Amino acid sequence: MRIEMLNTSTSREEMGSQTDISERMAETDALAHLYRFVARVLEEEADDTLLDLIRGELRGPLEALGLHFDEEFHNTPLEALRETLAEEYTCLFVAPGCISPYASVFETGCMFKEPADRAIEAYRAAGWDYHRRMSGEFPDHIGTMLGFCGLLAEAEADALAITELERSDELRDRRERFLLDQLGSWGPGWCQRAAEAAMHPFYKTVLSLTESLLWSELSQFVDRRRLRDLAELNRREPKRLDYDADFRKASGL
Amino acid sequence: MSDSLKYTRRDFMKIGGAMGAAAGAAGLASRRLVAMENELGGTDFSPTTGAERQAVPYTCLACNIEDGGVAYVENGRIVKLEGNMDHPNTRGKLCAKGNSGFLHVYDPDRIMTPLLRTGKRGEGKWKRISYDEATTLLAQKLREVIDRANTDQRPEILNEIVFKWGRDRSGGAVGRFMHALGSNAMLNHTNICESSKKVGLEPSWGPDIESCDWANTKYILNFGSNVLETAYFMNPNSQRLVDGVVGNKAKLVSFDVRMSNTSGFADEAYFPYPGTDAAIALAICHVIMNEDLYDADFIRDWTNVTAEQLIEHLKPYTPEYAEDESGVPAKDIRRIAREFATTKPATTFSYRGPCKHVWGAYQEAAIHMINVITGNVEKKGGYCLPRGMGWPQPEPVPPKGKTASVIAAPPLYPLASHHVSTHAPYMIMKGEAKVSVWMSYYDNPVYTYPSSHVWKDFLTDENLVPFLVSFSPYMSETTEQADLIIPDVTYLERHDPESMPSGLYPCLSIRQPVIKPLGGTQEFRQTLIDVIRKVDPDGSLGIKQYFAFDTVEDWMKAHFDNIPGLKEDGGWNFMKKKGVWPIYGEVDKETAKIVDKNGNEVDPDYGLYTKEVSASDMEGAEVTADGTIMKDGHAIGVQVDGRNRVGFGTPSRRIELYKESYRKYGFNPLPVYKRLPSRDKQPNELVLTTYKVNVHTQSRTASLKYLAELYHKNPAWINPKTAAARGIRDGELIRVASKLGHIVTRAHVTEGIHPEVVAISTACGHSAYGRLAQLKQREKAAEYAQGGEADIDNNVWWNDKGVHPNPIIRLAVDPIGGSQGWFDTVVTVSKAQPGDNYGDVVSSIEESVNDYEETLRYAYTGDLHRANHKEVDIDWDNLPEPELHASGH
Repeated sequence: MRIEMLNTSTSREEMGSQTDISERMAETDALAHLYRFVARVLEEEADDTLLDLIRGELRGPLEALGLHFDEEFHNTPLEALRETLAEEYTCLFVAPGCISPYASVFETGCMFKEPADRAIEAYRAAGWDYHRRMSGEFPDHIGTMLGFCGLLAEAEADALAITELERSDELRDRRERFLLDQLGSWGPGWCQRAAEAAMHPFYKTVLSLTESLLWSELSQFVDRRRLRDLAELNRREPKRLDYDADFRKASGL
Repeated sequence: MSDSLKYTRRDFMKIGGAMGAAAGAAGLASRRLVAMENELGGTDFSPTTGAERQAVPYTCLACNIEDGGVAYVENGRIVKLEGNMDHPNTRGKLCAKGNSGFLHVYDPDRIMTPLLRTGKRGEGKWKRISYDEATTLLAQKLREVIDRANTDQRPEILNEIVFKWGRDRSGGAVGRFMHALGSNAMLNHTNICESSKKVGLEPSWGPDIESCDWANTKYILNFGSNVLETAYFMNPNSQRLVDGVVGNKAKLVSFDVRMSNTSGFADEAYFPYPGTDAAIALAICHVIMNEDLYDADFIRDWTNVTAEQLIEHLKPYTPEYAEDESGVPAKDIRRIAREFATTKPATTFSYRGPCKHVWGAYQEAAIHMINVITGNVEKKGGYCLPRGMGWPQPEPVPPKGKTASVIAAPPLYPLASHHVSTHAPYMIMKGEAKVSVWMSYYDNPVYTYPSSHVWKDFLTDENLVPFLVSFSPYMSETTEQADLIIPDVTYLERHDPESMPSGLYPCLSIRQPVIKPLGGTQEFRQTLIDVIRKVDPDGSLGIKQYFAFDTVEDWMKAHFDNIPGLKEDGGWNFMKKKGVWPIYGEVDKETAKIVDKNGNEVDPDYGLYTKEVSASDMEGAEVTADGTIMKDGHAIGVQVDGRNRVGFGTPSRRIELYKESYRKYGFNPLPVYKRLPSRDKQPNELVLTTYKVNVHTQSRTASLKYLAELYHKNPAWINPKTAAARGIRDGELIRVASKLGHIVTRAHVTEGIHPEVVAISTACGHSAYGRLAQLKQREKAAEYAQGGEADIDNNVWWNDKGVHPNPIIRLAVDPIGGSQGWFDTVVTVSKAQPGDNYGDVVSSIEESVNDYEETLRYAYTGDLHRANHKEVDIDWDNLPEPELHASGH
């Protein structure tokens, strides 16, 4: 899917007409919903409300975008599906050996390092605070970070709705800066790896959607050269060194 | 300017050179500027902002030595650990493990939330739940057992609640929890550790270890301990050993089957046959007694034997006999005996080498006796009693459970006062005990126990262990099998009281959270409070009263706020600020000794056993014919030379070289050497020994990058002659096979090992414990993606995680001390066979079960016990019947 965004270089003066504003508002609002959706799926386990929504009201719109969940997903009793997805969520994102969803782990190999500080600083600068709901959660969870993008997009759409163009621009800048600075170098690549590791098609699908969303968003305001750099950064993964265990003495010392 | 002197650069160099050569100029320098390291720690600064970092004292638990530490915290994160200069025994130093400890906190493989099993046991399928849900579930399971016990009016059912720990430094919290629940089914790990050392010492002089005054000694005999790297109290002991050998010119003689770094540091190193330490020690005693080099006064006044008795008992243990058994030349044994007896002060030290054998308790008792007959006990520079301090348990204290637990105190091992935990799965498999809830804390028997495969099989069986809970914050081989994981925090995030006798200055210390528990995780102590309150929400069971703490810190205050002396210093608040109490002085920058304000060394107390019994204690006391001072049915001292001394912690208050408690069950009451089955192995066989290395614990540190990089693979040490006889070259794949099965590893051909021994270290070959321990980030790059972390990605240069030997190590237990005979497994070593792959492990559960039955034959009721103790004067037909020990140990 592709979300059309106005170029950041478009100024208030250039936007001009109410039609443009309405169009941008609608797009930003849609973007906010999309961010909030993927954030909700990735930040914590699916509950009945979310599953009902996906299997009901959202089924049509999602399928219209080419996002098909299989019949098993739609026909499994709700409780059983919830439990299956909870297990998949834990193994994929929580338990040791998981695809850790934290920027700190991706960037430093450890939990709760500087990327967590940067994330919470960004939230606070925008008037939001962070409160964990379960133990072991940190502000640099990719789900939370996507949720923050959703909040900014929502606020931007609200500002547009009352024609506070300066404020809407400020919010857009903030969102794009956050996206570039805090997610751009690892988020899409992480989604790809997580999707590869996911056993359940639900998470595979949503992670692929998220990856596409992030690239799409980045491509709206990042030039091609920088985009190539980001693509390279997102390809990072542990190297396989050409190491011969026999070349050293076997003592291990 | 024209008047000014003109110098060339060459002139300056000449002048400078001359100054350098002048002896008196050597000390010239600014006296204001000092290198930061000269401050000996205590403060630290951010290299980027220059701001002083918050310093929080704590007690280390990277291993069990409990060194004093200071954590430096910046922006709520631990950025550095170092030793606490106020700790009198560790004197501001941490080992490599301690320095790396903060990596535990931020390990991405740490378990950060309770997990509920959703798949089969061990399948790795989990569902995240909250601490509240987790503690509720555990409380329900416990309550079911309690309700059943109450309904059936059978308190023994409560022993179906089992708690097994590997390392319990909770200061009594676990015991409080279990006793509150009414269960005595507590199992520690001590029988795979040094329990036979303890049981060799305790009946003799009270405490379970010795505390050598290394720094002031002149002669050290080291038996089977790698004290510079790993043994009990490694950090403080190694510091003081170096003080003694380097600073005090002490002679160090070391006996070990392997060229450890301690043996490498020794003046003389000997490589005895495994399990023959007692033969050497008794031969040393033989020489000392027969050549009249013993301390006659000390033997007369402070032991329960006579010199004549000892000379008679030691008759068979000639140096020549010891040479035949151990391979250590008789002339050297004789010389060492004379040197030890005539060099004052002197001390021995021993650890797992001697005691981790069948009959290991005898070996320890024999080594202990060398110090006793030479009168080196409690002398400056001698072999001293350990010094520790206690702390009160908050009132009310729950009583023990009403019924003894058969797995906590196996009736066939009445002397094994530190449990025989290796036997628990076998006893349960045989139906001798039942389990409803098994709790695992700081414990990983699926990796750390002999025949470790049996533990995996046992813990996987839901019929035998219906509900398995782990409190581990790491996915160990054992935790993988759990039904429920309620993760504890790391030792840097929690509270514990501590007092380790790690030196001659007794002290209390604390563990406190140096940062808030990461990510809202919950410390074990709080989990216990929560569980108890859910088991007994209204207090009607009478359990809740024992956990009436509003906060964990309240619990700690209850330990510390009323200790005389500490109370006046500020109690708990003092401990939070300083981490340790009392403060004896400061570390001298030149000598590293503890000195007072005037720079004088603070001498420890010596001669503890000679302290006078107080007049108030003597009121109402009686003195028996042999001088024992009795009061209220207990011995409180002993009269020697007409003075009332407190003596030792034995029934006679003397050192009991003759142990009536041993004789009661048909064991020799005096220290003896028993030839082990491994001594009679076939010529083509070898004895397999294991050892620890200086940068790892048994199993908990393989996931730490700093340490894994230093040591991560464990090839089998094999002597060149032994290797050549088998056509094995250095680095080649070999098959090491015991009766249980085989492993495929690599050979490390070295002169530093006894020709009849093959040695494989612990700490490697994990099948769990995080991605680094398993090198999973290589095998499954995508799944274990670490992204751009340069240290992990690029510097994990090794692709060999080692091979774990425990699955082929046979269960064989000392019938006295209950200790596992880690060094009694006989193996064959050959070149790897076609189809063998590095890391292969094959082991038989059936054979391990046979080993269990075999080792019971050595227990006091067994036929092999009788066959090996014909010399003991006892009515063999009327040995005590096996019985449950009251309320367990």
